[in-house]
Amino acid sequence: MTSTLFYIFSTITILSSFFVVFSSNPVHSVLFLIFSFFNVAIIFLLSDAEFLAMTLVIVYVGAVAVLFLFVVMMLNINEVLVKEGFLKYFPLGLLLISVFLTELIVVFKDLEFFNSNNTGISISNLLNQGHENTKSLGLFLYTDFFIIFQISGYLLLVAMIGAIVLAHDNKLSLKSQNILKQKQVKKDELIKLK
Amino acid sequence: MTSSNYLILSAIIFSIGFLGIFINRKNIISILMSIELMLLATNINFVGFSNTLDDLFGQIFALFILVVAAAEAAIGLAILTIFFKKSGSISIDTINKLKG
Repeated sequence: MTSTLFYIFSTITILSSFFVVFSSNPVHSVLFLIFSFFNVAIIFLLSDAEFLAMTLVIVYVGAVAVLFLFVVMMLNINEVLVKEGFLKYFPLGLLLISVFLTELIVVFKDLEFFNSNNTGISISNLLNQGHENTKSLGLFLYTDFFIIFQISGYLLLVAMIGAIVLAHDNKLSLKSQNILKQKQVKKDELIKLK
Repeated sequence: MTSSNYLILSAIIFSIGFLGIFINRKNIISILMSIELMLLATNINFVGFSNTLDDLFGQIFALFILVVAAAEAAIGLAILTIFFKKSGSISIDTINKLKG
C-alpha cells in the first residue's frame, strides 16, 4: 500500500517538476513548483517524517513560493523573450543530463544499504519510549544540535537584513534633513516672514 | 520502499533542476526555481535515508537545508528585483551589468 502510494506521488512529482522547467509562463512554473512541493510533502509523510512534511508545506508553499509568485507578478516578464535560446542550449543540456542521470540510476538501481550497527539516533527506539516524530526532533535539536540550530537562526537573520538592505531604495522613501546643505545656506536664500 | 527508490527519485528531480538551469537562459527566476528543485531533491535523499537507516539525524539535517533554501530564495529574489529595476530585464546575458 505504502509503496504504491510512493510510486504514484513520485510520478506526479516528476511530471510537475518537468512542467516547472518547461512551461513558458513563469506563473505556471511557480504553481507547478507549489504542486511538486505538496507531493514531496506527501512522500515525506509516507516516510514517517511528519514534522518535516508540514514544515515543507509551511516554509516552501507559504513563504518561498509566494515570494516567487510576488516577484514574477511584479516584474512583468515578456513571455516570448523567455523562450529565446531554448533550442540552442536544449540538445547539449539534454545530452549532459541524460548521461548524468543514466550513471546515477545504474549505480543506485541495485544499491542496498544494510544497517549493521546503528550508531546514530534510532527512530524506533525513540518511538518505543513514546516520543513521536516532532517531540524526538525537538529533543535532539535543542540539545545536541543546539549550536547548529543557533547558527541557522543567525543565517536567517543575516538573510533578512541582506534582503531589506538590497531592496530598500534610499532616495525614494526617505525625506531626511541634509545637515551639510542646511549649514551652507546663504543669507539671501532664506525665506523670511515679513 | 528501499533506499534505491528514494535515490532514483531524488536523482531524477535533481537532473530536472539541472536541465532547467541549462535551458532557461533568459529568465533568472526559472533558474532560482530550478535551484529550489535541486535542494528539494537533496531533502528527499536525507529523509529517505533517515527512513531506511532508522536514524533521526537525516531529518534534522533536512531542516537545516530548508533554512538555507529559504535564505537563498529571499536573497536571490531581492537581488533580482533591484537588477530588474536598474536594467529592465532579467536575462542571463545582461547580468554582467551587475558589476556596475
